[in-house]
Amino acid sequence: MARKADYKRFEALGIQNLAASANLTFSQQTFAESLKLPFPVLSDFPERKVMRSYGVLNEKTMIANRSFFLIDPQGILRKKWIIENGPTTVVYSETLLRDIREIVGKR
Amino acid sequence: MRSAWGFQRSGLGSLIAMGLLVTAVCGSANADEQAVTALLKPLDLVGYRAGTKPPDFGGLTSDARQLSMTKLRGKVVIVNFWASWCHECRPEMPALQQLHREFASRGLAVIGINAREETAVIRHYAKELGLTFPLILDPDGKINTLYGVVGLPATFVIGRDGRAVAFGIGSREWAGAPARALIEALLAEPARRAGAL
Repeated sequence: MARKADYKRFEALGIQNLAASANLTFSQQTFAESLKLPFPVLSDFPERKVMRSYGVLNEKTMIANRSFFLIDPQGILRKKWIIENGPTTVVYSETLLRDIREIVGKR
Repeated sequence: MRSAWGFQRSGLGSLIAMGLLVTAVCGSANADEQAVTALLKPLDLVGYRAGTKPPDFGGLTSDARQLSMTKLRGKVVIVNFWASWCHECRPEMPALQQLHREFASRGLAVIGINAREETAVIRHYAKELGLTFPLILDPDGKINTLYGVVGLPATFVIGRDGRAVAFGIGSREWAGAPARALIEALLAEPARRAGAL
């Protein structure tokens, strides 16, 4: 929800937000419509290739650990945030934006 | 303007968030489907792309019967996710009951799926509101998660051929003329069509 509320702030820095999960596209569509998400939600079901390749797939639960990845226009990974206790931790957009501004060199 | 990391105003970087959520073919839409699509707007329902199949679900009903999607094959199905504490859900229930009474004999199945409540609570609610359509228990929320339900009420409409037709988040006038028109159109469809799921 924080990323929805602050979507424009990310956009102002030239950032396209993408969300990914191991859910069916069917349930993701309900989820996105319920929250009126302004960014795409991608399904990594059933293979979970993206999550595995990003090293965030919990092989026991087959769910990704909560995480964020910043990729530059050349496709280079510039920063990652792996969130401990993901389900209960609030990740404020400002935390991400501060780091992104530093990397992007924008204010 | 270029930034330190070669970032152009027009060029977008991307931030991918994973695990934000804790946990889709057939030919072009035929004339029937196009007619149905036109009936979704008055109800503010979101239509599914052609060929979308709803996830199968099954479970025990509040009167201890086993019910699954396979038993509903060939029927138009309205799946309503609800809970007794959901104020917005309550006004929908008599309307859904009315649809059940009126259209069940013609092939409409109205199914309620509760969200994580006790059987006793569900039975009391059904008795209070005079509900006789099946109410499926979902004590651990698995069916709710399968359908991506994060807000109640949420309602899904499935065609006789098993395709997902549309869904709506929040309450709707299910006994009103637009809903009846949609149900009539779906009931008029054959259960098996070319390209059916």
